[in-house]
Amino acid sequence: MPAKERRKRRAWKFLFLLLCLILADSLPAPPQSARKSVLDLNGRSVDPFRMAEAKTVVFLFIRTDCPIANRYAPTIQELSSRYHKDATFFLIYPIASETPQQIRDHLQEYGYHLTALRDPDLVLARESKVHVTPEAAVFSTEKKLIYHGRIDDWYVEFGRSRRLPTTHDLAATIEAAVSGKPVPTPSAPAVGCFIPGLT
Amino acid sequence: MRFPTLYLTVSVFLAIFALVPPPARQQNSSSEKKRNIQRVTFNRDIAPIVYHHCSPCHRPGEAAPFPLLSYQDTAKFADQIAYITEKRIMPPWLPAPGELKLAGELRLTDDQISLFREWAKQGAPEGDRSDLPPAPHFTPGWQLGEPDAILHTKKPYTLAEQGVDNYWNFIFRTNFAETRWVRAIEIRPGEKRVVHHANVLVDRLHSSRQQEKDSGDGFPGMELSIESNSFDPDGYFFFWKPGSLPHEEPEGMAFRLDPGDDLVLNTHLQPSGKRETIDPTIGIYFTDKPATQFPFLLELQNDMALDIPPGVADFEVNDELTLPTEVQLLAIYPHAHYLGKKLLATATYPDGTSKTLILISRWDLNWQAVYYYEDEVVLPAGTRLSMRYVYDNSVGNPANPFHPPQRVKGGNRTTDEMAHLWLQVLPHGSTTPPSEARLKLQEAITRHDVARDPSGFSSQYNLAAVLQDMGNFQEALSHYQAAIRLRPSDAVANNGLGAILLAMGNPGEAATPLLRAIQAKPEYAAAHYNLGNAYASVGKFDSAAEEFAVAVRLKPEDSMAEANLGAALAEIGNLEEAKRHLNRALQLNPQNNVAIDDLEEVKRRQASQQ
Repeated sequence: MPAKERRKRRAWKFLFLLLCLILADSLPAPPQSARKSVLDLNGRSVDPFRMAEAKTVVFLFIRTDCPIANRYAPTIQELSSRYHKDATFFLIYPIASETPQQIRDHLQEYGYHLTALRDPDLVLARESKVHVTPEAAVFSTEKKLIYHGRIDDWYVEFGRSRRLPTTHDLAATIEAAVSGKPVPTPSAPAVGCFIPGLT
Repeated sequence: MRFPTLYLTVSVFLAIFALVPPPARQQNSSSEKKRNIQRVTFNRDIAPIVYHHCSPCHRPGEAAPFPLLSYQDTAKFADQIAYITEKRIMPPWLPAPGELKLAGELRLTDDQISLFREWAKQGAPEGDRSDLPPAPHFTPGWQLGEPDAILHTKKPYTLAEQGVDNYWNFIFRTNFAETRWVRAIEIRPGEKRVVHHANVLVDRLHSSRQQEKDSGDGFPGMELSIESNSFDPDGYFFFWKPGSLPHEEPEGMAFRLDPGDDLVLNTHLQPSGKRETIDPTIGIYFTDKPATQFPFLLELQNDMALDIPPGVADFEVNDELTLPTEVQLLAIYPHAHYLGKKLLATATYPDGTSKTLILISRWDLNWQAVYYYEDEVVLPAGTRLSMRYVYDNSVGNPANPFHPPQRVKGGNRTTDEMAHLWLQVLPHGSTTPPSEARLKLQEAITRHDVARDPSGFSSQYNLAAVLQDMGNFQEALSHYQAAIRLRPSDAVANNGLGAILLAMGNPGEAATPLLRAIQAKPEYAAAHYNLGNAYASVGKFDSAAEEFAVAVRLKPEDSMAEANLGAALAEIGNLEEAKRHLNRALQLNPQNNVAIDDLEEVKRRQASQQ
């Protein structure tokens, strides 16, 4: 596809998204908690989809004290660097008791250079249909959930990992999404620390 | 003049994995009772289980990733705890329950597991404060108190943030002025959250130092081969795994540490997602009481049989050994790598009955451990020990290091496989003295090794050495010869052959292998010493004196080499020099009877000459 045309289509998508948002604003407001509970580290309510600038959105649900999630830190950082042109990555911390300072320390400790958001009311977690950390969710530019589940098949059970992963589910999804192809699979079970309040 | 005592340096190549024990913990019985499960609360039902089974690791500074010390800590993970206990992933405890009770068993009962599920289902209620048992008390820092000596590494190791499992070895140099008796070694492995297990091996010959690029660097490697100058290697496990307390040797079973011995710490590390600095320390606890009992590590193994085709999910490997003497079984350490699936060890008594020594139905290298028996386990002479290990080299084994599966053979690398079983035993027997019992055990093991692998150099050599110790020179000779056929220029085997020919009164033939040993290793003091003896025995005192002089130069503290040098010099009439060396021999060892007698003889001769 010629570059010009692609830009045009993007612009159109963006307009469409704005229109949706305007329409949504004019509709009866959903419960406050459902819309305002995604917070940045300064405690401000944010909408990651709006922040994503019409790119594919990737949420990575993690927590500070989950060893499996922590072992994935270099992989998550690598994936976000590889796809940063086409996809916007967010680290989502769904454990309500984890403070912004704990999260800032965690980001620094594990060398993350990603936007981190808190999801204390599990709005994004529910929308993303995730249950554990680490678990990924991918939304199309139309904000449609196109994948949720494992990053890859490194872990098969708590404490049981392969030497190296043999599938790369998240990467395959992002590649399909950004090239307009159907995603290989809509979900694959993730192994990790349970997110309380979801079961 | 006499030229007594053969000088034999025996070198045995043994891979010993010294490990120690899971912690001794009390058995919790409160939850064993059948309850009328209506309401399950943390304070009454869950806390006693958590405090006993989880908190020892799940607390700050320990290996587990998050604390489980309070209601808040635990409630946060209620669903997850229910899940992983149901699957028996936690607490980590591999052995199936059996007739022989293992110390520090961490296995939950079915009732305890049901309580976790029920509690999570009910929303993890806290319950009545008055039901809460006292919080567990943990000793901070060194678990056995301040050690008598603390050893540090020369250089910490930096573990990369990602990658496959990593095995790193640290060499701790000791420098005690005299031989010490050690009742315990406490391993503090550094960043416990990334160390899966660690074990200390004693390297009396500094053989591991050759593997360091620069002195103090440490070196990689999953399995260690430590060279030993004694055929009777140390029979101890020094092991650390998450949550384990250091094992204190019973009185009379202290471990000997000689000046300059190296302690090699073998660690299994898992990258954590961030760069980690691993800086382990070792605490040593001495005792005044020298050992009176000497445990022994019996090894069953069959790495040779490991040649596992890709895709095979049930590949079986066996080994058996019949005990030649009664022993007490103290501890057991089963070991396989990533393809191991089911590990079983049994003892079949002379009356035909048998007992399971250990059964691990779902092997997991990450949680390997040394297990100590809670009660005394006596294995009479004639007991047949057997191991039966099953391996899974299919895609169905997620731990399989190869994807797709490949043919895997026995070996030391992580991608190789292993079939080893170590038993720590104490030779018994009211009728046979312990040393004879040990020799019998060594003979049984080495004969077994030779039968399994006649083309193995180490097997042939080790059998020759033990037969020599037992005085069975004729048979020892044939095994030395077999070893030399396998490695014609091996210095140590040629020295052994020379020594046994000397012992059999055949000094003429002894010179040939001894010269071969010296050719292979010119600075080999023991071979020079033995060659000196061979020359002296056929009256070539000039040559003998030359060889003894080399031995003295290479090993200046060797009283016997000095004494024999003096004796040879006396034979060629150099009485002044002879006297000097005999005096030096006595300085080194005032009880050296050879030097005492020869010095008198020299003095008599000098007197008669005057």
